[in-house]
Amino acid sequence: MAREKIIIVGGDAAGMSAASQARRRRPDLEIVVFERTPYTSYSN
Amino acid sequence: MIRRPETFREKFNIDVRTGHEVVELDLAGQRVLARRLADGEERWEPFDRLLIATGAVPFCPDLPGASARGIFGVNSLQRGIELRRFIEEEKPQRGVIVGGGYIGLEMAEALVRQGLQVTLVDRAPQVMGTLDPDMGALVAEALRGIGVTIYHGESLAGFETSGGRVTGVVTETRTLPAEVVVLGMGVRPDSRLARAAGIPLGDGDAIRVSSRMETGVAGVWAAGDCAESFHLVSRRPFYIALGTVANKHGRVAGITMAGGDAEFRGVVGTAITKVCDLEIARSGLQEKELSRLGLDWVASTIESFTRAHYYPGAGPLAVKLLAEKGSGRLLGGQIVGTEGAGKRIDIVAVALHAGMTVEQVAELDLAYAPPFSPVWDPVAVAARETAKLV
Ligand SMILES: Cc1cc2nc3c(=O)[nH]c(=O)nc-3n(C[C@H](O)[C@H](O)[C@H](O)COP(=O)(O)OP(=O)(O)OC[C@H]3O[C@@H](n4cnc5c(N)ncnc54)[C@H](O)[C@@H]3O)c2cc1C
Repeated sequence: MAREKIIIVGGDAAGMSAASQARRRRPDLEIVVFERTPYTSYSN
Repeated sequence: MIRRPETFREKFNIDVRTGHEVVELDLAGQRVLARRLADGEERWEPFDRLLIATGAVPFCPDLPGASARGIFGVNSLQRGIELRRFIEEEKPQRGVIVGGGYIGLEMAEALVRQGLQVTLVDRAPQVMGTLDPDMGALVAEALRGIGVTIYHGESLAGFETSGGRVTGVVTETRTLPAEVVVLGMGVRPDSRLARAAGIPLGDGDAIRVSSRMETGVAGVWAAGDCAESFHLVSRRPFYIALGTVANKHGRVAGITMAGGDAEFRGVVGTAITKVCDLEIARSGLQEKELSRLGLDWVASTIESFTRAHYYPGAGPLAVKLLAEKGSGRLLGGQIVGTEGAGKRIDIVAVALHAGMTVEQVAELDLAYAPPFSPVWDPVAVAARETAKLV
């Protein structure tokens, strides 16, 4: 069976906090973040 | 702080695809359409759970000349870097800031520091609209003190341009010559993808969410500047675009998406900024919000010092508190003053979370020693004064 997959749209404060928390709890999840700009989280 | 995408990939096994824009959500089909900006290639990507964390977009006036070179909205790191490069390379002499919110004020100060002659225009009768007018006046005074010219009550009507470059800002009453313009007219939630996909929106078109940050559509979450919050003082849905809230939203969304338990109960509207030597902070509801809610309130403003008045570095500060008439419940507070003033707003924030009365705030056992505070803490003094009016 394929791994459970989370998609996050937006890789800044909210998106990357969520990605990190989800990863901490579920090492098995596939987590994909789409970010329009060349940068990720800069405000925390 | 910038964390590079590689760090997320290598350290946390999070597949961050920068330079990719999601252009469509297909919720029934549980997939999103992502476009790689480098070559325009589009691909459907399936998901089990989706988080929308698209942030906010700045109000951008649809006015003649708005796309001219030299006009900036500093809503992203990328735009901020572009602005700095523009100033270094083009050496503009005159800058106009449109909008007197915290971003406008921070930018006004930054341009003054770069040696520009700066004018600030705001359609409201005061700067810093999140403060009451009397407290906003203290901020305007500080701005004028560093040489900023302020025009209140004037709406932006357009831009003057020449050869694709901005040369001036046009208001209803005048034209202000400028080689660089910074727009700080506020933001609105970027809920375009959500709206198109039929996800219910709320206050100010922010995405409506539960306390677990779930939207009205099963399997879809929203967090940050694109999502709504709940105001714990007004007990109403409330839109606020701040990093502190975005981080909390994101944390809760990440936990609940992973099957855990977490709740984001709400905000009290706390915010802080700094212009020149002044720290500016607010929490809770302000006069205009209280009027809108039809609440009967009392308010008082006191002046004091950030430290014992004889201690080196002690400076003036003003504290304003608002309380409900009759019950004495604290409803809001604002602080403007020199170094050491601003973070005192956290006392107000905590008291608002706890639903305290101003009488109770006046009795708090707050820290005192001369380097930190007068023996009567200014917030407690303001609470005592406000309690007298309740
Ligand atoms: C100049 C400035 C100063 C600030 N100072 C403070 C401060 O002192 N304190 C404070 O609390 N807050 C501050 N803020 C606000 C804070 O930056 C924001 O509240 C916070 O960044 C919100 O985080 P977010 O993740 O919700 O949204 P954003 O930071 O807006 O991130 C959203 C991300 O999603 C991406 N995105 C959007 N749509 C798509 C799409 N369709 N596909 C792919 N990617 C997409 C965007 O490129 C962006 O990177 C400041 C903001 C600015 C502009």
